[in-house]
Amino acid sequence: MNVALRRAAYAMFAVFLLLAATTTYVQAINGPEYRDDPRNPRVIASRTGKERGPIVTSDRVVVAVSKQSSTDLTQFQREYPFSDLYAHTVGYTSALFGSRGLESTHGSDLTSDRDSTISGVLNGILGGDTRPRGLRLTIDHSLQTIAAEALGTQTGVVVAIDPHTGAILALVSYPSFDPNTLIGPNAGQAGLALENDPDEPLRNRATDETYAPGSVFKIITTASGLDTGLVSPSSEFDDPVELELPASQSTIKNSDGDVCRNGTQVSLEYAFVHSCNTTFAQLGMDIGGAQLGEATDRFGFNEVVPFDLRVLASFFPSDGSLDDNLPATAQSAIGQRDVQVTPLLIAMSGAAVANAGTMMTPYLVYDIFTSDGNVESSTVPNFWRRAMSPATASVLTDLMEQVVVSGTGRKAAVPGIRIAGKTGTAERSGQPPDAWFVGFGPVEPLDGEQSIVVAVLVASGGEFGESATGGSVAAPIAQKVLAAFFAAG
Amino acid sequence: MSRAAEGGLILAAAILAAMGVAIVEFTRGSWLDAQVAVTLISFVVSFGSIHLAVRRWAPNASSLLLPTTAFLAALGFVEIYRLDGHLAAIQRWSFVIAAAGAVGVLWLLRNTGVGVLRRYRYVLLAAGVFFLMLPLLPESWPIHGAVVNGSRLWVRVEIPGVVRALSFQPGEIAKVLITVFLASYLAERSEAMSTVDRTIGRFKVPEPRHLGPVVIAAGLAFVVLIYQKDLGASLLLFGLFIGMLYIATGRSFYVFTGGAIATLAGVAAYNSFAHVQRRIDAWLDPFGQFADAGYQSVQALFALGSGSLTGSGIGLGRPDLIPAAETDFIFAAVAEEMGLAGSLAVIAGFALLVAAGFGIAIRSRDLFRKLLAGGLTIVIALQAIIILAGVLRMMPITGITLPFMSYGGSSLLANAVIIALLLRVSDEEHA
Repeated sequence: MNVALRRAAYAMFAVFLLLAATTTYVQAINGPEYRDDPRNPRVIASRTGKERGPIVTSDRVVVAVSKQSSTDLTQFQREYPFSDLYAHTVGYTSALFGSRGLESTHGSDLTSDRDSTISGVLNGILGGDTRPRGLRLTIDHSLQTIAAEALGTQTGVVVAIDPHTGAILALVSYPSFDPNTLIGPNAGQAGLALENDPDEPLRNRATDETYAPGSVFKIITTASGLDTGLVSPSSEFDDPVELELPASQSTIKNSDGDVCRNGTQVSLEYAFVHSCNTTFAQLGMDIGGAQLGEATDRFGFNEVVPFDLRVLASFFPSDGSLDDNLPATAQSAIGQRDVQVTPLLIAMSGAAVANAGTMMTPYLVYDIFTSDGNVESSTVPNFWRRAMSPATASVLTDLMEQVVVSGTGRKAAVPGIRIAGKTGTAERSGQPPDAWFVGFGPVEPLDGEQSIVVAVLVASGGEFGESATGGSVAAPIAQKVLAAFFAAG
Repeated sequence: MSRAAEGGLILAAAILAAMGVAIVEFTRGSWLDAQVAVTLISFVVSFGSIHLAVRRWAPNASSLLLPTTAFLAALGFVEIYRLDGHLAAIQRWSFVIAAAGAVGVLWLLRNTGVGVLRRYRYVLLAAGVFFLMLPLLPESWPIHGAVVNGSRLWVRVEIPGVVRALSFQPGEIAKVLITVFLASYLAERSEAMSTVDRTIGRFKVPEPRHLGPVVIAAGLAFVVLIYQKDLGASLLLFGLFIGMLYIATGRSFYVFTGGAIATLAGVAAYNSFAHVQRRIDAWLDPFGQFADAGYQSVQALFALGSGSLTGSGIGLGRPDLIPAAETDFIFAAVAEEMGLAGSLAVIAGFALLVAAGFGIAIRSRDLFRKLLAGGLTIVIALQAIIILAGVLRMMPITGITLPFMSYGGSSLLANAVIIALLLRVSDEEHA
């Protein structure tokens, strides 16, 4: 019996040894992996419970702030005073849903995580600044507010950019959401409801969604034609009721189903101002798919725009698939068929025209400041690419100004300011069209005078439904933003 | 080791618990308060009274058991206090009640020794089975079973106007009673059961009628599994039967047969019970079912990993994030805040306790005492192994408390009685 007892005891010891070995493995050897797992709530809590730096607009309105807990002085809670107004730019940081927007991309600036490094610890001991830094945005709070009011509850986007620097002055995407709900006690429920909402309020439609550009794409088609020297504003085109496309049954019509001018000949300038599809489809075929593809690549299509937020690549079939396909080239030249673009890139295309053909890298963070208010680093405006020659930009500016003066974009006009713009109405089978406008002012600014580009997208016709056009729905929204900008001086 | 040293070590464990409470208070920004003193007093009173009872009624008993128990209880209590001050206050009373139980056992058996228990063998068995089945009482009765976390383990006493919802787990006491019965039964039959009449292949096989107890063991464990949905208790009972049969007969046949039956039962349970299937699937891939069945296991692994070598420090971790941290997963809480140092200390503590228990069994002079001490030691060892291996993901998680450390009065009382019986047997080895 004692033999059996001894054996049983040894068996138990073996198991306890195995337990000790396993816990050593789990805790010491495999420990860091579990400790740093992004799903480990300790990781999330250490990120969210800590103080984060404030985020302010360019006019120094606080849009994100960490409030110290009244019960536990080491704990902070993030608050977003303007609820849904900055949800798509500032984003959020939540224990349950991680972080998005600038809260995510500038997470290391906004936290004092650097203090866990040796130099950070030393810095803390020596009395250096250990508190997190804050962000000052390029967004102007009053302009952002006006842009959001102008769009109202229509699904769509308003983007405003300084064409000379690339600074984003306003960025609105509707529907939006209140990031505070992802932090409070009912965060789990609120987050799931947002994720399952068919209207996709979490999606930033300015950067994270692409649309058919429709006629705003004519800016790029025209730039390509002008850059290659193929056409000038006075070039004459045939003016048919409908343009028959070679080697196919398809035709292209104008939006009113009629001729562009008088049925004989029409100039490029007249066609641009009145946004005639027949003329630009013909121009596209004259330029050719390959040249058009090169032009769109110069405008930043098929490439990810470097930005503080995630941006989807806009798409143009510049892979050679248009080479022998004239009907597809014609449809692509007027921004239909497979062409897909983010509202941000349309705004940047407008900015390139306003900035003598140069596209600046867009940015949202004006500067990063320390807890005592000193600027630590400022964003330096950065050249991204040349979209067209200065001469082409100058000609396009004239054409676009005519659009606002006497063409489809008249509702964007601001008294006393020279505004240039282009409308777009992207037809979609079975659904109301997407309405576009992109415009800028002032044309030929004086030295030191501030410029602005505004791009507006109203998805599915907005309040106008089937009858929506870029000129009727999108241009008035842009007008309000432009007027507010120039009224503020 | 002398009795005086035992007393000194118990005092050290009481100070350890009080210091742990003080540290928790410091991390919350408060200074020493009554909690520290009350903790010190409750440990001194409960473990001290057992110590005094041993001095008086079992002076020759091993002095390893009590200090080890007190040490484990202190580590567990600090984490319970850190997790929930209200539960800790209840737990302190449970220590006192459990100590009273242990003192009571020592007092009852002061003249007769444990030998007297053999006389009441079938009474104890009947009581054990009765307690085991108690949770099956219908909900409408004043004393009725209750389902907690999917297992029907609890009995709730609610007599309007008299008793307001008193809950306990009768299975905890049942395991002690059944162990005493088995020791007594097997002491008488072990010779017959270990005689060999035939062989099958390499195995020496006892008479078929001697297989009866194994079948009963499997049957009882299976009843617990099916009706109470309690994997841990059924595994413990089954392991206890098999372990005691092996000790009684020295025949590895029982271990292999038992292992085979357990495996078959496991496969059958996996195929027929959804809750068993969920547990096993969650064990195999807890991260795959992160938000669901694997949640608890994953949270425990996060806690263990976050604790790493030195731990976060008492009061500075987040063991509150682990589901059931104060009961079944108390080990994960200790591991997170006290690190590998703490978790190895816990494992070493149980190994020491089990070593002392088997030592008592080996030194005892008659079969009954050997089997009793061996069986009681197996109960403690198996409980610790089942839940520790579950937390460490060496086997599926089965809800079972960690002796002396988990929150829970029934478990404390039953395990204190086990210690008292071991002390009693230990004292008698010199008789």
